[in-house]
Amino acid sequence: MNCSELRDHYELYVLGVADEPERSEIRTHLDRGCEVCTAEMKRAREFAALLGGTAMPAEPSPKLRRRILASVGAEERRFGWAPFLAAATVLSLCAAVYFIGRERDFAQEASILRDQSRRQTIELTRLSEAFAILNGAETTVTSFGESQPKPKGKVFCNPALGVLLIASNLPQAPAGKAYEMWVISRSGQAVRAGMFQAEADGTALHIERRTLDMKTTGVVAVTLENEAGVDQPTTTPLIVASLALQ
Amino acid sequence: MTLLPILLAIRAAGADAELIARLRRRDPHALAELYDRYGRLTYSLILRVVRDSGIAEDLVQETFLRVWNRVQAFDAQKGAIGPWLLAVARNRAIDYLRSTGGRERNTVEFETTDHPALHIDIEPGILASDKARKIKAALEKLAAHQRQVIELAYFEGLSQTEMAERMGQPLGTVKTWVRTALKNLRDELGAAVVSA
Repeated sequence: MNCSELRDHYELYVLGVADEPERSEIRTHLDRGCEVCTAEMKRAREFAALLGGTAMPAEPSPKLRRRILASVGAEERRFGWAPFLAAATVLSLCAAVYFIGRERDFAQEASILRDQSRRQTIELTRLSEAFAILNGAETTVTSFGESQPKPKGKVFCNPALGVLLIASNLPQAPAGKAYEMWVISRSGQAVRAGMFQAEADGTALHIERRTLDMKTTGVVAVTLENEAGVDQPTTTPLIVASLALQ
Repeated sequence: MTLLPILLAIRAAGADAELIARLRRRDPHALAELYDRYGRLTYSLILRVVRDSGIAEDLVQETFLRVWNRVQAFDAQKGAIGPWLLAVARNRAIDYLRSTGGRERNTVEFETTDHPALHIDIEPGILASDKARKIKAALEKLAAHQRQVIELAYFEGLSQTEMAERMGQPLGTVKTWVRTALKNLRDELGAAVVSA
């Protein structure tokens, strides 16, 4: 075949769909360097390229680009959760440290509040006991220290509830020392009635819960003793409240 | 039919040589740029052939990998990578179509039609050129049966004998339609293609 006979087959040859014998003829022409066929092949390849651009436009999924790049080992920087997870992790750690610290603070505050509550409960109990003695129908009141500069106050005695001592101008006990109250019978026998300390303002409130024989009880006294307490007074009493004979 | 894929290729047409050089240096960013320039065009072509979006995406991936792996044989100064890429894409798609349709696969033939060396001396910006718009208009002007035989050849990879069987027409009639269609297209494209 000559080149003009092959004219209608160059495009089909380029597309790989040329029938025989035209396909073999074109190959033979090209193999022997036919200038006409070579030029026609260039034109046919351009024609094929142009046909490729006539397909209806379509949009591949966004994942396809990442797939292709990943298949050659190229990692694309893209939006993801990793930065947010990292930030969340850092925030979580900060929050954990903060809340652990806060929890420790809360625990300390709770402990302090519990101590305060416990002390207030004890104080309320003492006050409740003190009010019971103060309001008791059989309670007697004895003042002391009225003629002295210090200490001074009152002793409330109730035969069923015990003794309530309220004092002021009481100096702070030295280190290792404490005040000890005594219930002394009219015959002079001293019975221990509890240890206490003066408050910073010189006041003191001390309760000794016991039954009292008001007929035989003559004096309520307070001495300064070793803080472990003693069985009998060893110092001169700072407070002496002589009860009236019942 | 819009010109969007071709318009997307316009801005990149002049930079093919630099892009090919980077692909030859195995620069993955160059592959990303190649995809950005020709990905939609390639996908559109393959989808037109296989008519299945999932398969089309797989074949697009194969196409770009093939180009990536064979780009060393491509002449960066003379080659037009767009036409080569489309030739590879078409061959991948037609080969798939033939394998699923029980038709004879002509892989050896395709190896010769999409070889990088065949795409040198093609105008690099041809896909974005005035010729691309002209061929669309020329296809629209063809008679339906003439357009059909061109599309059967390009998008389904049918020979004239296969077209005759598919269309139930005598081979001589199909050859006449093909000859007439190609003549009309050449005439419409005029000297533009011939002189390129």
